[in-house]
Amino acid sequence: MNHEAMTDTIIFARDLTRIYPLGVNEVVGLNQVDLMIAAGEFVVLKGASGSGKSTLLSLVAGLDAATRGQLQVAGRDLLRMTESQKTAFRRDVVGMIFQSFNLLPTLSVQENVCLPALLAGVPLADATRRADRLLDWLGMSARRGHRPAQLSGGEMQRTAIARALISQPPLILADEPTGNLDSKNGDMVIERLRDLNREQGHTVVIATHSDQADPFATRFIHLRDGAIQSDQGPC
Amino acid sequence: MFFFKLFIWFNLRQVQHHRWRALAVVLGIALGAAVFTGVRISVHASLGAFTRSMDAITGRADLVVTQPGGRVPEDLVARLRRLPGVTDVSPVMTTYTRPAEGGRPFLLVGIDPLLDRHLRDWNRVDPGDEEADWERLVAEPFTLLAGETLAAQAGWTTDARVVLSHRQGDTPFTVAGRITMDGLGKAANGRMAVCDIATFQEFTGTSGYVDRIDIRLADPGTDPGPELTRLMGNGLRLGSPGALKQSGQGMIRAYQVNLSFLSFTSLFVGMFLVYSLVALNAASRRHELAILRAVGASARSVYWLFIGEGALYGLAGWLVALPLGSFLVRYLLEGISSTISTLFVRVHVDRLALAPWEILISLGLTVAVAMLAAVQPAREAAGVPPREVMTTTRHQQGGRSDIRRLALGGLGCILLVLPLAHLPGVNGVPLPGYLASLLLFTGFALLAPWMLQQVGRRLQPLTARRAGGPAHLAAGYVRDSLARLAIAVGALITAVALFTALVVMVRSFRHTVEIWVAQTISGDLFVTTRMAETNRVWEPLPPEVVAYLAQHNEVALVPNRRFSLSHDGHPYQLEAMDFAAFQEFGHFFWLQGDDELIPRLIRGEGVLISEVFAHRNGMAAGDLFRTQLQGRTLTWKVLGVVRDYRTHGGVVFCSLDDLAARMDGLAWGGVRIFFRDRDRELDAAVARLRDDLVLRFGDRLDMMRGQALRAAVLRIFDETFAITTVLLIIALLVAALGIATILTMRVLERARELNTIYALGGSRGQIRRMILWEALYIVTVGEFLGLLCGFGLSYLLVFVINRQSFGWTFLYGVDWAALALSLPLIVATALLAALPAMRLAVKTSPAALLREFGN
Ligand SMILES: Nc1ncnc2c1ncn2[C@@H]1O[C@H](COP(=O)(O)OP(=O)(O)OP(=O)(O)O)[C@@H](O)[C@H]1O
Ligand SMILES: [Mg+2]
Repeated sequence: MNHEAMTDTIIFARDLTRIYPLGVNEVVGLNQVDLMIAAGEFVVLKGASGSGKSTLLSLVAGLDAATRGQLQVAGRDLLRMTESQKTAFRRDVVGMIFQSFNLLPTLSVQENVCLPALLAGVPLADATRRADRLLDWLGMSARRGHRPAQLSGGEMQRTAIARALISQPPLILADEPTGNLDSKNGDMVIERLRDLNREQGHTVVIATHSDQADPFATRFIHLRDGAIQSDQGPC
Repeated sequence: MFFFKLFIWFNLRQVQHHRWRALAVVLGIALGAAVFTGVRISVHASLGAFTRSMDAITGRADLVVTQPGGRVPEDLVARLRRLPGVTDVSPVMTTYTRPAEGGRPFLLVGIDPLLDRHLRDWNRVDPGDEEADWERLVAEPFTLLAGETLAAQAGWTTDARVVLSHRQGDTPFTVAGRITMDGLGKAANGRMAVCDIATFQEFTGTSGYVDRIDIRLADPGTDPGPELTRLMGNGLRLGSPGALKQSGQGMIRAYQVNLSFLSFTSLFVGMFLVYSLVALNAASRRHELAILRAVGASARSVYWLFIGEGALYGLAGWLVALPLGSFLVRYLLEGISSTISTLFVRVHVDRLALAPWEILISLGLTVAVAMLAAVQPAREAAGVPPREVMTTTRHQQGGRSDIRRLALGGLGCILLVLPLAHLPGVNGVPLPGYLASLLLFTGFALLAPWMLQQVGRRLQPLTARRAGGPAHLAAGYVRDSLARLAIAVGALITAVALFTALVVMVRSFRHTVEIWVAQTISGDLFVTTRMAETNRVWEPLPPEVVAYLAQHNEVALVPNRRFSLSHDGHPYQLEAMDFAAFQEFGHFFWLQGDDELIPRLIRGEGVLISEVFAHRNGMAAGDLFRTQLQGRTLTWKVLGVVRDYRTHGGVVFCSLDDLAARMDGLAWGGVRIFFRDRDRELDAAVARLRDDLVLRFGDRLDMMRGQALRAAVLRIFDETFAITTVLLIIALLVAALGIATILTMRVLERARELNTIYALGGSRGQIRRMILWEALYIVTVGEFLGLLCGFGLSYLLVFVINRQSFGWTFLYGVDWAALALSLPLIVATALLAALPAMRLAVKTSPAALLREFGN
């Protein structure tokens, strides 16, 4: 990929810091991170357990608020957003994929996938059509009406991917998406994310301990104790 | 509209999945709503029946002339008719009479059919010549037209001969026809009959007088003019015909509000149930909420999802309450209408009208209450931060400072109770009293977490040594999950408090009324003219009866004369009595003053007023009492206040001799007979005298043995309080349901922790014991606080709510034996309620639970 061609910055962070107050002590989750990620990149985030990967992702996803610093995602300033702007941001700008899938147990596969679109005001028929297309693409059509409890781990994660894509967000964030999967299912999930990145131009940021995603990465960022230790292109 | 979809997906399916929990909650709410609706509809039916009856009798009258404590001279009719602007004048008389062969009393209305034509209508059941009916009533003495209900119930047909009973003796009548349930025929719900006014006067011995005169004006808007007012000399009163109706309606409505509040207790307890289930769902689905928020749901929609869940329970409860309530109403209707009849005004109810408004009120209230109960959990749910989607551990809430704040708030509520309780009630509705009760409940419920904390902290080291692991763990849990536990304790507090207050109130009330009955309603035989008590009109006893009794030397007589009057719109009785004779055989139940006052009362220096009268009219010893009686103005000083529990308002006692002097002579209206020799076979002697009197004057007198009268008075009181008791017992039931449900939910809520303990090597027995210990903590604290709250509530019931709604108070007495006996029973019940929870805890396999609660 040609770095020069991608001038669009989708994530911009400066001095980004997140400190968790824990009683009288403080835990530094993220420490003065400066970061710029261009649209269309496929970033693999690495680092030991506790190094701050999840913290960084939840800040970028608008799930959590930074203690200080600057953070702009898709041109929006996350530190200045109101609660309702953040809700809309989560709906429209990012798609999240988690290690533990985080599907709603009372909703069927199809309903789980539709949910973000419906929350964004898309009519049910449209949302269902979109969901079906995505599930088809992920090989999940047969499972449409099942509840999450009836699915295997791989199927749950594919459902979660469909849910992350339903609103066509420019940015996909995945926190250890393969952590609970065997290598075959893990590979499949990573391949789908690669397709999204290569064929549809979604920016993908994956935090992971595994090396399954390494072949597709355009960039590796290593975190250590909440700070960026190294930031490099594909090896 | 997507909100509803989300609600169905997210909440409704969860409810469906745990339908037994939801069912318990819905049942609790339904019971509360059913009682509330049933009570409201029953009173509504009584109110409707009363209003219809009053309207039927009032007809189209614009003005009505009456004589307080007496009757209106008939010759006034002719003079009124000559006045300009007066279109119709019609004399009316009413009385209750009954068939001599027995049966319930019915209303007899005497009118002049010709004069009355434009004021009231009626229709014959059998179509025919209407004119002929009137003519027969007028032309043929002692004929009557029977109302539809009466004719059906008594089996009267046209031309039947019936014998009716009244103070003049038994008199035969002929049924000239039957009239339908329209117009005048609706009076007393059709248990009525019409006769010509002349017949009426002859029957009741009231020639020359009528009860009232109805007037219709050409232009009802105009002032009746000085001519009309000038005719009103001699104490006659010109008033609007609606006054009686309005005062009766006012009393029934006040009673309705009272009962509504009482039945609201059940709904209030139901609130705990809704709260606990919504809170459980919100807490156990915390992670799902974080997911919802993470994928783009706003905090506000999460909030409304849970408010919606509360509303759902309310709505479902209300739907279940409808059939439940219509079943209940059959039992309530009779009790409530007869209580209204004994306490306030006579009502005849035999059917239920559909009351859409009442049903709407109950719908609104039930749903509102359920939504209110969901507010706190909904707020907690809305506060779940989306970032929790990243974590897998769950969070405990309810910090120390929270608990202290709650406790302080609770203390504040409790401190407010007393000043609030002393504010005056509004129109017989003890609004401040009820609000104070609610504050009391709330205050104690808010204190519960702090109490639990204290108990847990003190007990933990102790239980660790004594009871070992489970108790120790339980104490730890109690401390760690106070906020949720407090609800279980809140429900228990409410139950114990209700129970305690009920025991105290029933005991205080029964004890006091028993003393009053024994002291004040002393006497071996009570004699009045026939139908006097039913009509609340005490006519003079026939002179020959008085003469016969006076020469009877084995008995002492305590004569009286009573008048039904009203003071500032509140009905009361003026009772003139022979204090000197009474003093030998009975006592007053003093509140202000003592027996030293009797000589002054005998001399006519003043009067005694009852507690009810004192309270209704804001009077006390030392005040002046003034009234109009049969055209005379009477003024006395109030010397003392006594307890009196007679129904239909308060009493003023004055000296019979004094009143006779002021009124230029006064005949006895009734007499109490005492046998001088108290050692003889009293029963036999009373029976002999009674038989003797029946033989001589039987059809003109009503007689009641002292014992029977006292028993009847107590029975009436028990019936009156039965409604209250039933309402409180239902609230108690809901509370018991609540305790069982909440304990079970507690187990479900902690299924994961319990199973972790199990997985770490805790035995099922240990887990079971842990839950038992927890239940014991809850029950101990709940019982203790409930008892305190209950004494507070009983004080409010006895001294505030009863005083403000009925005007009387009781001697406060606690039935320690009943309390001591039943409190362990409540403990046992509460522990029993923990049983399903204990079974559940060890029944479900850990793996299944992990799946159910897993992501
Ligand atoms: N809610 C929280 N409260 C307190 N400390 C937290 C919280 N979340 C994270 N931390 C701390 O912040 C630091 C970074 O945590 P983070 O979860 O971002 O690490 P990670 O790189 O995602 O680790 P892992 O690979 O194990 O997922 C850790 O030291 C962690 O203990
Ligand atoms: Mg992580």
